[in-house]
Amino acid sequence: MSAIVCSHVDKAYGATTVIRDLNLAIEEHEFVVFLGPSGCGKSTLLRMLAGLENISGGEVSIGGKVVNDLEPGDRGIAMVFQNYALYPHMTIFDNIAFGLKRQKVPAAEIRKRVEAVSRTLGLERYLGRKPTELSGGQQQRVAIARAMIKTPKVFLFDEPLSNLDAKLRNHMRVEIARLHQSLKTTTVYVTHDQLEAMTLADRIVLLKDGVIEQIGSPAEIYRRPGNQFVAGFIGTPNMNFIEATVARNGDGWTLTGAGTVLSLQGGDFHLRHGDRVVLGIRPPDLKTAQAGSANLLQGTADLIEFHGNDALVTFGSGGKEISALVPARECPELRAPVRYSFEEDCIHLFDGETGKSLRRQ
Amino acid sequence: MKQYRLRPGRLIAKAVLALAGFLAVFPLFWTALNALKNNVDIITRVPKVIFTPTLANISYILGRDSVLTGLYNSAVACGAAVLIGIVLGLPAAYAVARYPNRFAGDIQFFVLSLRFLPPVAVAIPLMVIWLQVGLYDTLPALIVTYSLLTISVIMWLAIPAFQGVPKEIEEAAFVDGYGAYSVFWRIALPVAARSLIGAIAFSFVLVWNEFLIALMLSSSNAKTLPIVASELSQQGMNVPWGILNASVVLLSLPPLLFLSVLSGFLNSVFRQKKS
Repeated sequence: MSAIVCSHVDKAYGATTVIRDLNLAIEEHEFVVFLGPSGCGKSTLLRMLAGLENISGGEVSIGGKVVNDLEPGDRGIAMVFQNYALYPHMTIFDNIAFGLKRQKVPAAEIRKRVEAVSRTLGLERYLGRKPTELSGGQQQRVAIARAMIKTPKVFLFDEPLSNLDAKLRNHMRVEIARLHQSLKTTTVYVTHDQLEAMTLADRIVLLKDGVIEQIGSPAEIYRRPGNQFVAGFIGTPNMNFIEATVARNGDGWTLTGAGTVLSLQGGDFHLRHGDRVVLGIRPPDLKTAQAGSANLLQGTADLIEFHGNDALVTFGSGGKEISALVPARECPELRAPVRYSFEEDCIHLFDGETGKSLRRQ
Repeated sequence: MKQYRLRPGRLIAKAVLALAGFLAVFPLFWTALNALKNNVDIITRVPKVIFTPTLANISYILGRDSVLTGLYNSAVACGAAVLIGIVLGLPAAYAVARYPNRFAGDIQFFVLSLRFLPPVAVAIPLMVIWLQVGLYDTLPALIVTYSLLTISVIMWLAIPAFQGVPKEIEEAAFVDGYGAYSVFWRIALPVAARSLIGAIAFSFVLVWNEFLIALMLSSSNAKTLPIVASELSQQGMNVPWGILNASVVLLSLPPLLFLSVLSGFLNSVFRQKKS
């Protein structure tokens, strides 16, 4: 049985539609990440699951029960907020115990459970303190403890790490992953950070303008982006896009664009003579060309960003900026001519009009 | 650090501050001192700091029925009005802050507009109303009238205080299973308490010092302390300075007491019990 089912869910504020006819099933024990640019409706969707926003249309069920009209407290969920949302006037102990007190759990058991949870998260020493006396990472851990102690059916995380500095963020990300491994609680996690999404998710739900662009495992979304938006959103550095025209060439195809002509077998894609397409290729898939390499992209190195192991080389080809991520030892001089080639199985082709992937299923 | 301190700008700023502080505090100090002096010591050419203190002024003040009645009236009228202001004003402010509807802006403006009117414009119609109703010169009339002031002041100051409570904290409490009323009691009130104390104290001081409306609405029975105190200076040619000063001290004490009691009370109510 699915832990969460959204069917035909809409959300509108007056005349503005934020989420349109959204269908989604989240399995038990799954870790699902809602990913998308800001304003895509991912937080709104999470808040609708939590019961903090009304559902304008459609149906949401959690654990097989329709929750549209249930109060947040009756939905069997626990939520971790972006800014922690700890109760500032209570001690850490009371913060963690607040939900249990509502459930009329006996004081002795509350004490036992708070101690157990705080031991798991390393908070024993802070139980008597107020939230303002803790660091950001510790506060976030209290927020997680507060969610954990209720042993909910579903955890909801709303950008929980975005207020932390980079180092702490990595650390907490690992902690959250470990926590999910041991608790196995169904988790919905909202973020705009694709690294978090890629590393944490069993499945990513990629949203844009309140519509699901693609659902899939991180590998699927990275390797088989369903459309140009997904391809451009996922992966750092960003995928290169080259507009091109398709022409039949014997058994294969040629793509003309960005000042170059590329020839493909094209067996993986739906292609037609004369189509306008967008060729997508990720910077790490561009290799320094050897003598005799086919599919050349060439130009003059305009910008070189040193990343340590690698260097990102940006060059102009036919009026188009293209980036290649190459091993640092192959890094060219600035303004030197560069030639890169790629293997055909690395490329992505998208419809020039709709942006949909042309890959055969 | 030393260099920093010696800067002339900083010195001047400190001097101005000290002067302002002196100007604010000294009259109070001098009033308190004069309340303990005999008239002879007050009207000397050279102000006297050292003198033989007397409790005559204070005992005179406390011995007069009119003063005690005024004190009682003031305490009851202001206390009740502030209580009504708290009971009605705080939930109203919370509702406007957290559950705004299309009238929220109008409500806020209306509440503020009550304070635009010169009090006398309100006082005369109110006097007529209370005369008609037959409650003129009674405490209930004064309490109801003052409640209008306290409710509007408390609402006006409490709305931003409640808006200052981070919304996520209340949402976290909803997720923890609490309803709207519990969230108001257990989260919004204690988190906003500091600002709310200010609002309540301000409304108390406002009605405690109120003179004009009290003058219009009372003739003998419901006179408040400011009215009684003002009458003390109208007793013939010889102004009883010592008595006046003593009455001013008496008038200033309750707001101070009220403030300290209130903040102590709220602190103890909202401090989390150790379980």
